[in-house]
Amino acid sequence: MIQLNRRHFLKGAGASGATCALASLLPGSLAAIEKQPLKGIASEVASICEMCSTRCPIKARIVDGKNVFISGNKEAKSFGGKVCARGGAGHSLLYDPQRIVKPLKRAGERGEGKWTEISWDDAYQFIADKLNTIKQQHGAESVAFSSKSGSLDGHVFHLAAAFGTPNTFTHASTCPGAYEVAAKAMFGTKMKRDLGNSEYIINFGHNIYEGINMSETRGMMQAQMDKGAKLVVFEPRFSVVADKADEWHAIRPGTDVSVALALCHVLIYDNLYDSKFVEQFVVGFDEFAAEVKQYTPEWAESVSDVSATAIRRIAHEYASHAPHAVVDFGHRATFTPEEFDMRRAIYAANILIGNIERKGGIYMGQKASGYNKFAGEAVAPELSTPGVEGMPKISAMRIDQVEKQYKLMWSSGGVYQTIIDATLEAKPYQLKAWIMSRTNPMQTLTDRAKVEKTLKAMELVVCCDLYISETAAYADIILPESTYLERDEEIADKSGKNPAYYVRQRAVETIGNTRPSWQIFKELGHALGLEKFYPWENIETLQLMQVNRDHSLLAHIKKMGYVSYGKPLMLREPSMVAEFINSYPNARHADHDGSYASAMTFKTPSGKIELTSAQVEEMAPGRGVIKHRPVQLKQADELYFIQGKVAVHTNGATHNIPLLANLMSDNAIWIHPITAGRLNIHSGDAIQLTSSVGSEEGTALVTPGIRQDTVFAYMGFGSKNKELVRATGKGIHCGNLLPNASAPVCGMTIHTTGVKLAKI
Amino acid sequence: MNNIWGDMAQYDPVVWNWIIAIYLFMAGLSAGSVLIGIGMRWYSKDKHIESPILKASAIIGPVAISLGLACLVFDLTKPFHFWLILINYNFDSVMAIGVAALLAYSPLGIAYSIIVLRDELPKWKLGFLVPISHLLMPFRKVIEILLFALAVGVGAYTGFLISAMNAYPLLNTAILPALFLASGLSAGAAGNLIVALTCFNSTSHDDDVMKLHGLDLPVIITEMMFLVMLFTSLYFTGGAAVDALASLTQDIWASVFWYGVVGIGFCIPILSMFLPSKARHTKAMMLTVACCSLTGVLALRHFIIYAGQSYIS
Amino acid sequence: MNKRYVMVHDENKCIGCQACNVACRSENDVPEGVTRLQVRVEGPFGEAPNLHFKYHRVSCQQCEDAPCVTVCPTGAAYIDENGLVSIHNDKCIGCMYCVAACPYKVRFINPITKAADKCNFCKDTRLARGEQPACVTVCPTDALYFGDANDSNSDVAKLLNTKVTYQDKTHLGTKPRVYRVPTKRGGIQS
Repeated sequence: MIQLNRRHFLKGAGASGATCALASLLPGSLAAIEKQPLKGIASEVASICEMCSTRCPIKARIVDGKNVFISGNKEAKSFGGKVCARGGAGHSLLYDPQRIVKPLKRAGERGEGKWTEISWDDAYQFIADKLNTIKQQHGAESVAFSSKSGSLDGHVFHLAAAFGTPNTFTHASTCPGAYEVAAKAMFGTKMKRDLGNSEYIINFGHNIYEGINMSETRGMMQAQMDKGAKLVVFEPRFSVVADKADEWHAIRPGTDVSVALALCHVLIYDNLYDSKFVEQFVVGFDEFAAEVKQYTPEWAESVSDVSATAIRRIAHEYASHAPHAVVDFGHRATFTPEEFDMRRAIYAANILIGNIERKGGIYMGQKASGYNKFAGEAVAPELSTPGVEGMPKISAMRIDQVEKQYKLMWSSGGVYQTIIDATLEAKPYQLKAWIMSRTNPMQTLTDRAKVEKTLKAMELVVCCDLYISETAAYADIILPESTYLERDEEIADKSGKNPAYYVRQRAVETIGNTRPSWQIFKELGHALGLEKFYPWENIETLQLMQVNRDHSLLAHIKKMGYVSYGKPLMLREPSMVAEFINSYPNARHADHDGSYASAMTFKTPSGKIELTSAQVEEMAPGRGVIKHRPVQLKQADELYFIQGKVAVHTNGATHNIPLLANLMSDNAIWIHPITAGRLNIHSGDAIQLTSSVGSEEGTALVTPGIRQDTVFAYMGFGSKNKELVRATGKGIHCGNLLPNASAPVCGMTIHTTGVKLAKI
Repeated sequence: MNNIWGDMAQYDPVVWNWIIAIYLFMAGLSAGSVLIGIGMRWYSKDKHIESPILKASAIIGPVAISLGLACLVFDLTKPFHFWLILINYNFDSVMAIGVAALLAYSPLGIAYSIIVLRDELPKWKLGFLVPISHLLMPFRKVIEILLFALAVGVGAYTGFLISAMNAYPLLNTAILPALFLASGLSAGAAGNLIVALTCFNSTSHDDDVMKLHGLDLPVIITEMMFLVMLFTSLYFTGGAAVDALASLTQDIWASVFWYGVVGIGFCIPILSMFLPSKARHTKAMMLTVACCSLTGVLALRHFIIYAGQSYIS
Repeated sequence: MNKRYVMVHDENKCIGCQACNVACRSENDVPEGVTRLQVRVEGPFGEAPNLHFKYHRVSCQQCEDAPCVTVCPTGAAYIDENGLVSIHNDKCIGCMYCVAACPYKVRFINPITKAADKCNFCKDTRLARGEQPACVTVCPTDALYFGDANDSNSDVAKLLNTKVTYQDKTHLGTKPRVYRVPTKRGGIQS
């Protein structure tokens, strides 16, 4: 055990005198508890990061008994042992004096900022009494549960299921939902991209050089620098990805779909597409081709401001690198109400060159069970999912289920923002309580005023979090979770081209009176009288159930932190298949073309890739075929307002962490010099943005790196609750400017709107 | 791009501030005062009388350097470790050489003061120092010569100290030590005049005072010449050095230069020379002009320190 | 033979993400408000659409002829046997001559020790343990290289022999040991 001196720690964590004094007034915060010695679990622990949702494999090392140094886990090759700024700052969160380390109960009105400390038992009892009463009076379905996705949603949603409500939500509809739903509609499953082997990458504003996803960021950089891949970026602002690109096209916000469709047009009508692949694996090509006929590059230019010549040339260059080329299907940011067809059009451009399961294209991934079947032997251990028998049958419909068009989203995190209408307008029925874990809808959902109204209308709001986030500020009870550096969790599947597992482990002993998520929601379950749905004792027993009581396997996974098995396999890549067959004597025989293409299965209704989808047509009539629909994102006298992610923050959870707040605490608004000049605005001037739902004051950053008709802000700033001392009131609150609207089929909140700019 | 890399406060190019400007001023004043006091003694006919000017320099010399060194020590981030500089020497460092010079200059200056002020000491209840003055008297000539040489060194050192920083075009110039020496003389002359007139009952028509007064114009012209050389050399150096010329036209330090250095420090003394002789040689006028010179020198030190550090190549 | 430690910063690979900045703080316990290392994303420069950022690593350049060492009156600033510009904290009196004299403005007074401080390639921490500096260890895009340029087999020696590099402010005669690979669009801007 390594003894850590707390005072030194706090100094290292960057607690300035002023913030310390303020924080000490905050009940339940780390600053308010008695000093206690800190202990590291070991000198070095392999674990999983949680500073953002990407969850990279990390190693945490105790430096000189004074500090925690976090780097990547080298066992995970594609992650290279690397870690980003957010990940490296984990210790700053751990020892932040403003972190909440005791359960809190609201003392004043909701959002008033008055808190009293309360024991865990009292907190559980208070919540359980309220929830059981609500259940009796309004039914279990009147309670919504939402959670950060990843390891935590399992704990929260298991309790929801045991309690009997279908209403569970992740942040998907505010972040990655669209590309997942589009993939489900076309491939029946989520897809992965093999940027590292790509020779030609087309990118529609997927800013992985700022919103870092370590393996993809590294993959794309290696492709660019070591292998000379060409990168083409369509983005309204000059982001870091745009800077690193070989060409940057400042596309009109929200018109990406037109360019993606024009690319498909050229691929089809210049006969550049892989007709054999399409014939064999794709349904709905003819309808798509007929629809796309009208989407010429010239037409796309009129919509998007991207030159037709460029689109035509790019399509040809792209096709010349087929199948080792890719159009990146993106991640966060819902640019347009036509998000679903935008992502589908992008997938279509991939399908047309037949890059599916090819190096440098997109692929489905190999988990242990499938991989072992191909190998004809148990290359990778298969984990079991500890199911619980006799879970209550839930007859109530989800609140987002009335809209059949969102069907594919129901099991992908749900349409988060439907909580607003259900609570404020009883659509489709009344919600009464909201249980949240590590989610911050006040920042990430749109129309902040409505979210605030929703929280205030609830009979019970419970937040499990590390800070009094902007959302937790409106809770009745705050349950302080241990940080990821203090938690053990279930083994997680990290399979890519071959099977892999990794596990989160505690690096230091728990500070203060916090608890891990699995324990909090298990204990709450017990308080609710649902103990029969928790047949496991603790995380150890749960892990052992996962590895089928194979102690040595568990010990191995824990020691390495990340383990992978076998050789990378992409089913249509002959070189990989050949090497796979070489390694495993009992492996499945290759097809005549040296691939495993015949083994490809798609979980779509047709069993093939659905370029045109009867299923979608049924969910949302008129939407079976991918097509362009004109949208109006702003009024003529307004500017487009768009957002993005910065390398040192997430979209709503890191702005109060000392080290990261010190790097960046304000999101000055990008304004083009001509736009700024018209209003006599200079960098550093105070400005105001006004949209249809709100108004925000901030600072100007005049830069040529943005279109004249657009302003840009990094997301997640401008918290309005007084508890987040380092973040509150700094910068523009994006959610307060965005109206609450949902994109058809994928149910995403829309992140482009019109604003008026003024100097103040 | 937004700043995502954190606090920029430490990168403020102005590291040395007004305290250092005052130290440079005090050191220049001390050296200039001593040089003028001793120099005038050497040129005076009657070497047996301690002139009011010499007495003035005997006061200003030690007092100014002590105040300057106090500024320097308390500007250290570890003032109570200042003694480390007395036992560790890096003779590549201008500061270390300066410390060595000051280490000799300060005690010699005090010793010389005791000699010069031996008749005044009892009046200030410092009579107990008189025997020391008798002990030192035989070495007066040696002390005087050494002190004179060291004063030249100290006066120039203040310039060398900052001209050694080669990243700053405005500072990294061979003219700076000479300029600082000249402006130190200007300050020393003015200081001596003020103390002589106010403390030692000198009159504005004393021979020495008149002589001292006569030094004003040549010193000012020398300073102006050095400044012109400084800025023309920047102009012809090109690159970042040309950028440093903006110090003459931009921001607060341009005002300090034109109003403080040129206006008060040069123009008022020069204009005063066009006054009728009667008005020019009143005590009040002389004190006024001397104060203007001191202000000008103080402004010059501030201008050089702040503007000099603001333009980095 | 003594080592000649150098660092190479590839501005093409650098994405300005500040992972290095954070890792440096964690490893070396750098107090709040001061910084040993930051990468500034400057710009964009140029005319749209041909814009480019400059990824400017701001940290000690480990000069062979270091102005900070020359001006230090007490010898607290020195160059060690492997060429690393170093500081004897107990000899430093905090005159700030080195801070003022540094052409790169990368020295500062550590508010805890009150002595001058700056990047020393993790000499006391990671190098002492036989590891690479913290910034190099975490750099997500492998934009940083560190090693002994006297060893012709080292990555840095090979890199310096094969890639175009430049150093900052060489006209001042400082001979910096931080080399930069210029961005292909931005060109050399020292």
